[in-house]
Amino acid sequence: MELAEVGELLELLLPLFILQFILMIAALIAWVKTDQTKGPKWVWLLIIILANLVGPILFFIIGRRQD
Amino acid sequence: MKQFMTIMRKEFLEYWRNFSWIWVPVVFIFLSIMDPLTTYYMPIILDSVGGLPEGAVFEIPELPAPEVLMMSLSEISMFGVLIIILLTMGTIAGERKSGIAELVLVKPVKYPIYITAKWLAKIKLFLTAFIIGMLVSWYYVNLLFDTIPFTDWLLTVIFYSFWLVFVVSLTIFYSTLLKNPGLVAAVSVGTLIGMSIINSIFSHHLTWFPNSLSSHILELHKSGSIPSELWGTAFVTIVLSIGLLFLSFFTFQKKELA
Repeated sequence: MELAEVGELLELLLPLFILQFILMIAALIAWVKTDQTKGPKWVWLLIIILANLVGPILFFIIGRRQD
Repeated sequence: MKQFMTIMRKEFLEYWRNFSWIWVPVVFIFLSIMDPLTTYYMPIILDSVGGLPEGAVFEIPELPAPEVLMMSLSEISMFGVLIIILLTMGTIAGERKSGIAELVLVKPVKYPIYITAKWLAKIKLFLTAFIIGMLVSWYYVNLLFDTIPFTDWLLTVIFYSFWLVFVVSLTIFYSTLLKNPGLVAAVSVGTLIGMSIINSIFSHHLTWFPNSLSSHILELHKSGSIPSELWGTAFVTIVLSIGLLFLSFFTFQKKELA
């Protein structure tokens, strides 16, 4: 693979990384704000940070207790 | 009208508080650009992953741009719809379980207003996310593949929106019918799967079935004009959605009185 090609690839993928970053930050703020999560809270922190993309989404959908 | 706006404002406040306005659009963007990007980079990915025997030649056919845009739609119709169902399942059932519904309904709020406000709030959230996602997908398809005229893109988004509205209406209907949010999600997914099975068996007889929206949309890209089946399908989808909404007024009232 040419170096220029790699550069172009990174340029196109940059928005994805930014979006992923936004998602993670939002999930982290939400994580700090919630008192009750389903299951232990620190596990969710690991999931948000370690599982890229899927972790924050899972946290938003099933992580928080609504009631 | 005032009641309506108040309930909708309450919903939007809730979306801000639980970050729905941020993460739902971001997820929809991801869903809609994943396929165009991976399709474009498949040769490079195969190259760098390796594992191909020496001298193996892979001819990957160049896909026309509309097909790539349709990939985004199919991604949204899988995972996007799943997210919509998971976020909508608790709309009524969850509020009833946690007692918020009682808090709202001790005030002289009419049931249809309560449900319609929630319905519209959900639709606004998901359609915003969908439109943003498709905009980004359109940008990438134009950049990496071929240009798609703006009107074609717009028509695709408008017509596909009816399907998302239908999914929201279906889930809210089950949400008024059943008590358990998890059950609501299961039954909604089940209904959608059932519908797609019916569609795949009888697609030649049921040209106006809501599930065939996306195949008609692809037709639109090929011919450049709106096929009459698309109008019919959109009409049926809207009528079904509004019917489900009215049906949920009825079931909600019945449950509430019981």
